[in-house]
Amino acid sequence: MLDKKRISRRTFIKSSMLIGGAAALAACGAPAVAPTVAPAATAVPAATTASAAKLDLPFPVDAAAADPFKLDVTVPVDGQFFSGGFGDEYIRYAAKIQEMVHPGLKVNVTPLQKVQETLQPRFVGGNPPDVIDNSGAGMFKTVDLVNDGQLLELTELFEAPSLDTPGKKFKETLFPGSQVSGCVFNGKQYGVNIAYTVSGIWWSKTLADKNGWKYPETWDDMLAFCETLKKDGKLAPWTYQGKYPYYMWGIVWQQLLYKAGGNDVVLKIDNLEPNAWSDPAVLRATEAIYALWDKKYIMDGTAGLTHTESQAEWLKNKAAFIPCGTWLENEMKTVTPKDFNMVMGGIPGFKDGKGDQKGVMADGGETFVVPAKAKNTKGGMEYLRAILSKSSAKWFAENVSSMMPVAGATEGAKVSDGMKSALAVVATAGNAIINVQIANYYSKISKELEVRTGELLTGKSKPADFLKAMQKIADDVAKDPDTPKQKHVI
Amino acid sequence: MKHGQKRFIFTFLFIPVLIYLVFVAVPYVTSMAVAFTKWRGLSLNITFNGLNNFIKLFNDENFWGALSHNGIALIVLPLVIITISLFFAFLFTQGIKGNGFFRIAFFFPQVMSAIIVGVLWSFVYHPTIGMLNGLLGMLGVSSMKSFPWLGDPSTVYGAILAVTVWQAVGFYMVLFITGMESIPPHFYEAAKLDGASSIVMFIQITIPMLWEAIRTAIVFLALAAMDMYAIVMIMTNGSGGASRAADVVPRYMWEAAFSNGEWGYATAMALVLMLIILVLSIISLRFTRRETLEF
Repeated sequence: MLDKKRISRRTFIKSSMLIGGAAALAACGAPAVAPTVAPAATAVPAATTASAAKLDLPFPVDAAAADPFKLDVTVPVDGQFFSGGFGDEYIRYAAKIQEMVHPGLKVNVTPLQKVQETLQPRFVGGNPPDVIDNSGAGMFKTVDLVNDGQLLELTELFEAPSLDTPGKKFKETLFPGSQVSGCVFNGKQYGVNIAYTVSGIWWSKTLADKNGWKYPETWDDMLAFCETLKKDGKLAPWTYQGKYPYYMWGIVWQQLLYKAGGNDVVLKIDNLEPNAWSDPAVLRATEAIYALWDKKYIMDGTAGLTHTESQAEWLKNKAAFIPCGTWLENEMKTVTPKDFNMVMGGIPGFKDGKGDQKGVMADGGETFVVPAKAKNTKGGMEYLRAILSKSSAKWFAENVSSMMPVAGATEGAKVSDGMKSALAVVATAGNAIINVQIANYYSKISKELEVRTGELLTGKSKPADFLKAMQKIADDVAKDPDTPKQKHVI
Repeated sequence: MKHGQKRFIFTFLFIPVLIYLVFVAVPYVTSMAVAFTKWRGLSLNITFNGLNNFIKLFNDENFWGALSHNGIALIVLPLVIITISLFFAFLFTQGIKGNGFFRIAFFFPQVMSAIIVGVLWSFVYHPTIGMLNGLLGMLGVSSMKSFPWLGDPSTVYGAILAVTVWQAVGFYMVLFITGMESIPPHFYEAAKLDGASSIVMFIQITIPMLWEAIRTAIVFLALAAMDMYAIVMIMTNGSGGASRAADVVPRYMWEAAFSNGEWGYATAMALVLMLIILVLSIISLRFTRRETLEF
């Protein structure tokens, strides 16, 4: 499944671990911010004071930024939100902000689990809600909603002024590259990602410091280092989330693909160009991950483990490396030993690769969308402006220990070591944000990647078979008149 | 039948039949029509697609792969489950000590849902902490250390079928025990006088007398073999297994609808599956029909 699948699993699993904690946090989570209704909020002064009794608006709002969509406050906003590992308090917090900015407006928050099952009848019936958090195990495939003309294009929102970053447009407050994955189809913006994730390879800093290990710089270094680990025999060099090969193709292979071939090859693959898969860069990336199996670097039994099981083995120092995104810390919080300091490194590339070797996959998940046929699309967009405000992002960082892709939101907030290491990788990468979109565009191709990567990493097939199978499915999808085509432009 | 009685029955049946027609029969028939359309299931935006879905289905390797796994289950499940449960039923009607306990112990898996059974067995098959690899290790089979039973395409489906057998045996055992206990003992006494061995008695008396129960078992198990959705979903974490080696048609149908957004295609698959099941039921009922003995 898509990029989104990992979000679903992680949020699903996290929900079991975190919901209790989130609820506890919520109890003390009502923002203890001093009343700061600044004089700048002149657009709605009287009413703001009226609502100030409930909860004071924690920031001033410029008159120009107060109501860009000209909301009709008498029409309530119907928001239906997936409630998983992040809980639903942050969703309510954003709703409160929106209500305070627009006195008299009612924002209805409905948390739900199975997004597609619950909301499909409303889409078919032509009365979808105004804003949706389309995440979790039962989410809609965003591309299907787009292909069916069900989603509102969000240019108006992206061009609108930011709620609490004066002088900036909404889009200018978001991290570069964070609003592409699962959001942009055929060059148009259909969703916003509210959770920021950086993906790379994790290891234990504790163990590395103890043994004086240095994080490998190139893939060749990585293999050489794995060889010494293997000879040493104390722990396996690698493991991955066995039953979900996504982590290997979605995180490792896709980034290696970019590092080997640059965006030219990424676009060739994403745009289903004929013979795209026979590009030498594709072979190079594929052989790189195959080497892990071929040279016996992968921990025994990995293929039979789920994501949490393999991550637990890794936490027991049974393997040195595991690929994952920044949600890893949160996901494994309850089982992480105290002296296990996990940090993330970028994917080691190739000295002579065509892409930027410092590049990193830093994107977003937890996609929020506004249905095109909703009654109050303006209210929906305004909700998105509120949830990606600096204030909401700060609340999120402090109470959910995750990050929103909002510039300056974590100033003064406590950031974990893992997140810090990931942000350091992003800082080195600069503008080289890797975005491979093929799996977001075509579910069938993402399934095939899942199956074929699994075979590759258990030695059931060779890199050449992998490329052949992938070329075939890409050609099938390209030929299939029932599958609308996407065009990836960078 | 008196004239008034007919009207009486009619008035009583009218409402249930109407409800059935409106809420079951009509939706079934209309959903069949979806099989001939292109539909993403998100709006009333439905376009006629002729036979394209069926042509695509015919050329879809994944569908044939999934169907072949249902086919394997169709042969393996009735054969293995009926044989094993007949054996146990025979054993536990011989007056062995503690057979009450065994009957309950064997029936127990049946009362657990497929989800629980799937999760439990996923732990048994776990490569490092699993009971199976632990046992094999104790027996000295070191080559199987950390073998990923559910992660290897050559073992995943076998492992799942074994669980299905484990779960179903108890139920059919109880079914057969009830049947066996209602066979009048004088048949066996007469046979014994004629010098028949226990095996001969089992084949010549028990099986024919049990035929109705066995026949029921065949039909039930044939239908179960064409499903397998829940257990495959749980034990392969929704993927159909490494290399789709444990995929079955109902799971693939789910993937087409919910994950690929091809509701028309998925419905076409459902229609084909329904026809296959219909034919199978007719065959299994026809070919197992025997004369039954009244006693």
